[in-house]
Amino acid sequence: MWGFILRRLLLGIVVLILVSILVFLATQALPGDPARAILGRSATPASLAALRRQLHLDQPVFTQYWTWITGLLHGNLGRSLAAQEPVSTLLAPKLVNSAVLVALAAVLSIPLSIAIGAWAAFRREKAFDQASSNLLLAAAALPEFVVGLVLVILFATTVLHVLPAVSTVPPGSRPWNDWLALVLPTLTLVIAVAPYVARIMRASMIEVLESDYVEMARLKGLPERTVLIRHALPNALGPVFQVIALNLAYLAGGIILVEVVFNYTGIGSATAEAVVNHDLPVIQALAILLAAVYVVLNLLADLATILVTPKLRTQL
Amino acid sequence: MSQVSSDWVADAEIAPPLPVVHGTSLLRRSLRLWRTRIGLALLGLIVLLAIVGPYVAPYGPSTPVGAPNSDPSGKAVLGTDYLGQDVLSRVLYGGRSILVMAVLATALGLVVGIAIGLVAAYSRNALDDTLMRGMDVIMALPSILLALVAVAIVGPHAWVIVAAIALTTVPRIARVTRGTALPIVERDFIAASEAMGVPRWRILSGELLPNCLGPLMVEASLRLTYSIALIAGLAFLGLSPNPNGANWGTMIQQNEIVLAVQPWGAAAPIIVIALLTLGTGLIGDGIARTAAGIDRARGEE
Amino acid sequence: MDGQNIITKPDQARLMTAFETLLLFNENYQLTNNGLAESVTQDSPTQYTIRLRQGIEFQNGKTLTADDVIYSFQRIGTKAYGLTGYAATATMDIAAMKKLDQYTVQLPLKTPDSTVPQTLGSYTFNVVPVGYKAYPAAQVGTGAYKLKSFTPGQQSVHERNPNYWRSGQPYFDTVTIIDYSDSTAQVNALLGGQIDAMTDLPASQVKVVQARGMGALVSKTGGWLPICMAIDIPPFDDVRVRQAMRLIVDRKGMLEQVSSGYGFIGNDLYAPFDPGYDKSLPQREQDIAQAKSLLKAAGKANLAVDLHTTDGAAGMVDTATVFANQAQAAGVKINVINDPNFYGNQYLKLAFSVDFWGTRAYLNQVQQGSLPTSPYNETHWPPKTGTGSNFESLYSQALAETDAAKRTQIMHEMQQAEYNVGGYIIPFFGGLIDGYAANVKGLKPSKGTLNLDSFGHGFRTVWFS
Repeated sequence: MWGFILRRLLLGIVVLILVSILVFLATQALPGDPARAILGRSATPASLAALRRQLHLDQPVFTQYWTWITGLLHGNLGRSLAAQEPVSTLLAPKLVNSAVLVALAAVLSIPLSIAIGAWAAFRREKAFDQASSNLLLAAAALPEFVVGLVLVILFATTVLHVLPAVSTVPPGSRPWNDWLALVLPTLTLVIAVAPYVARIMRASMIEVLESDYVEMARLKGLPERTVLIRHALPNALGPVFQVIALNLAYLAGGIILVEVVFNYTGIGSATAEAVVNHDLPVIQALAILLAAVYVVLNLLADLATILVTPKLRTQL
Repeated sequence: MSQVSSDWVADAEIAPPLPVVHGTSLLRRSLRLWRTRIGLALLGLIVLLAIVGPYVAPYGPSTPVGAPNSDPSGKAVLGTDYLGQDVLSRVLYGGRSILVMAVLATALGLVVGIAIGLVAAYSRNALDDTLMRGMDVIMALPSILLALVAVAIVGPHAWVIVAAIALTTVPRIARVTRGTALPIVERDFIAASEAMGVPRWRILSGELLPNCLGPLMVEASLRLTYSIALIAGLAFLGLSPNPNGANWGTMIQQNEIVLAVQPWGAAAPIIVIALLTLGTGLIGDGIARTAAGIDRARGEE
Repeated sequence: MDGQNIITKPDQARLMTAFETLLLFNENYQLTNNGLAESVTQDSPTQYTIRLRQGIEFQNGKTLTADDVIYSFQRIGTKAYGLTGYAATATMDIAAMKKLDQYTVQLPLKTPDSTVPQTLGSYTFNVVPVGYKAYPAAQVGTGAYKLKSFTPGQQSVHERNPNYWRSGQPYFDTVTIIDYSDSTAQVNALLGGQIDAMTDLPASQVKVVQARGMGALVSKTGGWLPICMAIDIPPFDDVRVRQAMRLIVDRKGMLEQVSSGYGFIGNDLYAPFDPGYDKSLPQREQDIAQAKSLLKAAGKANLAVDLHTTDGAAGMVDTATVFANQAQAAGVKINVINDPNFYGNQYLKLAFSVDFWGTRAYLNQVQQGSLPTSPYNETHWPPKTGTGSNFESLYSQALAETDAAKRTQIMHEMQQAEYNVGGYIIPFFGGLIDGYAANVKGLKPSKGTLNLDSFGHGFRTVWFS
């Protein structure tokens, strides 16, 4: 089993390196002169040359890549073209903001979806199951930015006016300084993620409820509640972890649109802005960052799968 | 949304394979479910709107019909947008671009993905490994990020968006195809065909492919839903081939700021996109349920 | 942060907190002696004398003297620094500036220039202490607020200068300036009470803001968003094409669509508030038929061109979009390109673009954008032959002319050339709209270049009720 883990880890690292090369090469192909883009209206030949030297633009591509990647590993992510600030100082608070949002969404959605899935399985084919299954289907089909906007229309701008339409975190402030502003973006992420976890939980729970183990517990005369919570539930959770990890991985990309909808000051909206502004260094840094998060979480998902499937554990 | 393959599709490594069901009969059977019918109706409605829209729109997409952000009136049934253009007309003009690109991207991804998946399943050797690792690398980036980086570099041209989204579709289709084809490949009648000298491509297309259609249809509808979402999302960020033309995603971006004053400019395209994705989602769900139902029925035989 | 240089609007706001000019423009864009100078007198066509107010101290306690004024001029006049006001120093003989006494400076000119007072009132031509350097060096000026903290690109905090020379002012204890990249976020911050005022309130939000009891400051300014045609690049090198384009524009429609009606229509001429603005030239109207026939005569019946622009100022992209739509009626196909790198490589080499300008007096604007030596000459005006080829010499004459009536005559001649064969399409002058909270008092609509009534004249003339 450990061999397998090591192999997956190595694969993850290889993938990240490949991604970094691809991203770097790709952004090198961007049209236009980055030095001119920075200096814009006030460019003079002397200042252009100086800036090009500062950005290492006069060196061969491989050297530039090496400088960039080693800098990356030391925490130096370059300077943003649009903001004229080091990328790391620019992104650090935004990273915190996004992490808070995702953590909040995770903490809320996981127990909620597990509960929904378990109950739907327990009351299979009855009203709750039918209703929740349809609602979850809708939630899964709708693009998350549409969900976010619908929430804005319902609660902020048009139907009701109880929540803010925009959740910008002012510079120097922290997301928890304005709880109300966090409600809608978190709700949007919860709705985006819940269907998959709930479905898997339901499927898993159904299997467990039909298992001999639970039969035995019932035959022993244990109250249904105990059977459900102490016997069925823990055994059903196995496959759920994989899906949870996969969904958190998905959020690495999902926050981009959601943050833009709510103007949330996180790395998601930073990515969108950087793309629109052709802000090379920021695009590179964020692509690597998000890819790394995605890879790590996928790895955890694989690990979770293996750990909870005895068959695989012994096979490996 | 739709990032995991459908739950009803077995991942060959974990659970026993889905029994073989022929594609067309699956489709016919799934239409018996009310949800598939509703989904098809929704899809049909929105597609019709997108295709026929420009011919029935009361005004052109950029004709000024009143003061910007005015409320619905006799002149403009859904009011005007941020430049004083008719919201209804823009909605009628705004679907073609998204639909065409989404369908193209999904179709392209299907063709390439199926090919790769079949080849990988059939070869069962180093080629299989290489192909699947390649798929892993592509899947190492969240789809939207891949699309964003592609657009950031080359520009928001239609072919770039279609190619990028097709690229993110390929690995998932390949995985599903391979997953369903693998157990079939191991069966005797494949070996028998090979022994008889049936050419490889014949085996792939004649024997393997038809048996993958079930899970593939589910996955394809998931991918279509996701492609629509992604393309609309890119347009919402301002990254579409013709930002000055009418486009549902761009309309949302342009009019989001005035939601409090004139909601229709953004709400109308939102509703339309929502209905479209609900339609494709329902269809996929209908097919999946039918397949699972058949599975359960078979299992009880 | 630099007391004599700006790029963005937050830069403007920050500069206004701490630095001041010798002369001041009031709300009607008229020069007054309310600045640091007690008087600025013209001794001869090539010499001015500046007399400073006495007893003004910089924020570090040092007294404002003639040495500081000379240093300030020298700094702006240093080409290598690339400061905003550099071009205006072309006519000044800064090396020969003389200190007549502690508070008096003599400013000789290389050539006559009647626009010098306007330059002295322009908001980046501030007086800085000897040895002054841009941030991160200490920001010491004569203004009403001292810089307390600054995170570039994000926000800055300024605190009241207790020693400020205008007694009684300012009224706020601190001023915080926050950079927003997104107007949605700004508007919501205003509505939510997180900020007290904002620049460039979108016209669509005026109703929303007023419904909440807040204020929308609508200023009819001379700011303009020209559609620029380079007169030396095909197809715009043919004057008939330029004239056709000017006839395609539906000016009222443009004003309505881009600016929601706030502002007034233009006649392809700038500096509408200058006393020398030529009101006698007939207002151009849309004439598609004439435009089509002009294009046909020029052999460009089904013209297709790219129009470049960017999100540099409110309305730039919308102007391009609406113009492209309007052009369809004349059979002209315009492809709008919204380029984030608009101000990069190709900026002043484009054939067709939409740019933005603030309010200026006529001759100042000519010097900034209509001469071969101008820093921002998008249209590559003036032409080398034919009508308008004497534009540069007319400009020099106007600068040197001391008689106002005669000067106006010359300016009219210059404007006539621009009106007939120039490269600018100026459809309208959109208002500057700003938003402010209900308890903010003292803001007045202003015709000037800066938002929020020149940021409350450096945050001095506004207070909380």
